[in-house]
Amino acid sequence: MTMMWIVLSAAAVLSVAALATAWAQSKIGTAGAAALAEKPELAGTIIVLVAIPETMVILGFIVAVLIILRAGGA
Amino acid sequence: MIVPMAKVRVLGPKDRFDAALGAVQDFGQLQLAEAPARAGIEPARLEPDIQRRRAQLQRVRDEVDEGLRLLDAEGSAPLGPPATTDDFARWARLANRTARDARALRTRVTALGEERALITRYRDFLSAILPAVRKVADAPRLTSHAVVVPASARGTVTALAEALREQLDGEFTMTSHDLPGGDVAILLVLPREFSARLDARLAEARVPEVPLPEGYRDLPLEQAVPKMLARLFEIPVELDGCERDRRTLAAERGPDLRRARAAIDDWLAAAAAHERAAMTRFAFAIEGWLPERGVPELTRSVADAAGPSVIVETVAREEWGEEDAPVVLSNPRLFRPFEKLIALLPLPRYGTIDPTPFVAVFFPLIFGMMLGDVGYGAALAGLALLVHAKSRPGSLLRTAAEIAGPCAAFAIIFGVLYGEYFGDLGARLFGVRPIIFDREKAVFAALALAVGLGVVHVVLGLVLGAVTAFRKEPKHALGAGVSAVMVILVVGALLAAFRVLPAGLFTPAVVALFVAFPILIFAEGLIAPVEFLATLGNVLSYARIMAIGTASVMLAIVANQMVGAIGSTLVGLIFALLFHLVNFAIGLFSPAIHALRLHYVEFFGKFYSPGGRPYEPFGRRHEPPAPESSRKPS
Repeated sequence: MTMMWIVLSAAAVLSVAALATAWAQSKIGTAGAAALAEKPELAGTIIVLVAIPETMVILGFIVAVLIILRAGGA
Repeated sequence: MIVPMAKVRVLGPKDRFDAALGAVQDFGQLQLAEAPARAGIEPARLEPDIQRRRAQLQRVRDEVDEGLRLLDAEGSAPLGPPATTDDFARWARLANRTARDARALRTRVTALGEERALITRYRDFLSAILPAVRKVADAPRLTSHAVVVPASARGTVTALAEALREQLDGEFTMTSHDLPGGDVAILLVLPREFSARLDARLAEARVPEVPLPEGYRDLPLEQAVPKMLARLFEIPVELDGCERDRRTLAAERGPDLRRARAAIDDWLAAAAAHERAAMTRFAFAIEGWLPERGVPELTRSVADAAGPSVIVETVAREEWGEEDAPVVLSNPRLFRPFEKLIALLPLPRYGTIDPTPFVAVFFPLIFGMMLGDVGYGAALAGLALLVHAKSRPGSLLRTAAEIAGPCAAFAIIFGVLYGEYFGDLGARLFGVRPIIFDREKAVFAALALAVGLGVVHVVLGLVLGAVTAFRKEPKHALGAGVSAVMVILVVGALLAAFRVLPAGLFTPAVVALFVAFPILIFAEGLIAPVEFLATLGNVLSYARIMAIGTASVMLAIVANQMVGAIGSTLVGLIFALLFHLVNFAIGLFSPAIHALRLHYVEFFGKFYSPGGRPYEPFGRRHEPPAPESSRKPS
């Protein structure tokens, strides 16, 4: 039973972080594509802007790994 | 590095101005500055006839561009004898003639394409109704109508047939054919006396006739249909003829037009440069920027072409600001491809630091840490070699291959350190062991390595920021330096707290942090604590190296487990190969994007100062030096 909660907690952390990242990237990506159509020279800036929210899911991944390892799930 | 620039002033008597300007253009390294605004000095003006000629040449230039574009004859300009006034007149006629011919050719190709598309759309329908329309031709009392019912009104076809049968007393036949896109083409054959009533009914139902190409609209269907079907064989031959004509025109006129464009550009550049010079009653002055090492050569070139009365003097460093100087990056051959990664951002300002050498070292390192697999690294190296061999020097593909090379090397090195050969395949087949740690199991070790690199990278960024700001903003430089020290102290205190470093270091590190904190606030203001926290966040952001690396190795392991897990060995092998291929593609894309992001956001954020002016020297386009009479706009 405890194991199930550990796994569910890790999955919840990663899912929420991934959904938040996806939502942020969809907004930034849409605006970025529109900006690129008018100003292709902004490519570098747009890449950075799109990549910024990925920190959330990466930190979510690390927290999920910590939950599993620290809680004795692995 | 950013090349040191010098600002120079070319001075001389007014009658030597043309010769001096020509020498500067031939030299091709001086980026002209605006004419100095001082009492008694005014910008040089172009004579009215030169201004008229400039307008004419700009029109000719537009026609040359249009001709080359339509003929698809772009390329480099061939060398030729110096351009003369007669050449410009000849090129103007040639450009006009070529633009006209190319436009006509393009119109013909477009018309043929449209005709073919229209006939192709109705080809099956036309073939199907051909026997019926021939029968109509043999029966004078019958007539035929071909109509199109739009896809949105398909359902009305049956209703239309019923309505027509009612109105025309059933004396008609209807042949329908589905068209691509959902429309329905219909042939109606009926007695001639009902033709007017049918027209009225069709107009009322807003059903259009089949749109026949121009030239067939006035023909009866029995004549138009066979001709249109025959055109399907004639049009490709005519299109081939047009393509032959285009190639002939491009071959005959392309080189001349390209040379014309280069010569016109040179002339227009000289006219623009003329207006940037300054004049007094007896003298002229031209100011501009060039790489410092080019000054002696410019001095010699101007003296040789314009005589000893024209001199080149270096403007004192106190008289110009760094924000005005253009930026030229110069790096060793190995680092040069990485300038393309910097080019995605605005140029760094003059007087700041060119980050190319740091990117050339850290980008492949971070990429290699993430991919970290001998097999994938070798595959990337092979791909890079192939692209390098197949691409032209200076092309984007060649640059990508040159960047991929070091990335592959680091991926192989880290692959050896992690003991990864297509994931755990090396361990399974040959019992290969990791040298530092196994990424599959040692998650904390991988995290520590990633964050450790983050500390080094961010501290390096802060140090570079301090160096950049040292001359102009010493307080900001102090802030950046103290931030760097504080990051090291925080890491030291944490390591001491977890007994990685001797526990005795904890207290001195914390005390030093308390001492550094007020200095940071003094240097950077009250926002400094927030910025410092953001800097610590930047360090943690390097954890993505571990996250992406772990995801990569897990995918590779899953791919290896497919052999034997899914049906037969062969099926498993195919699935495993496909999975490895997908992982390899992700392994190229994801580390590249994240390594870029770590540079642009975490590293550059500490020192990079964008806003540099691009270096656009005044020169010639592939043209040999022209004689004074023909190259000058005066």
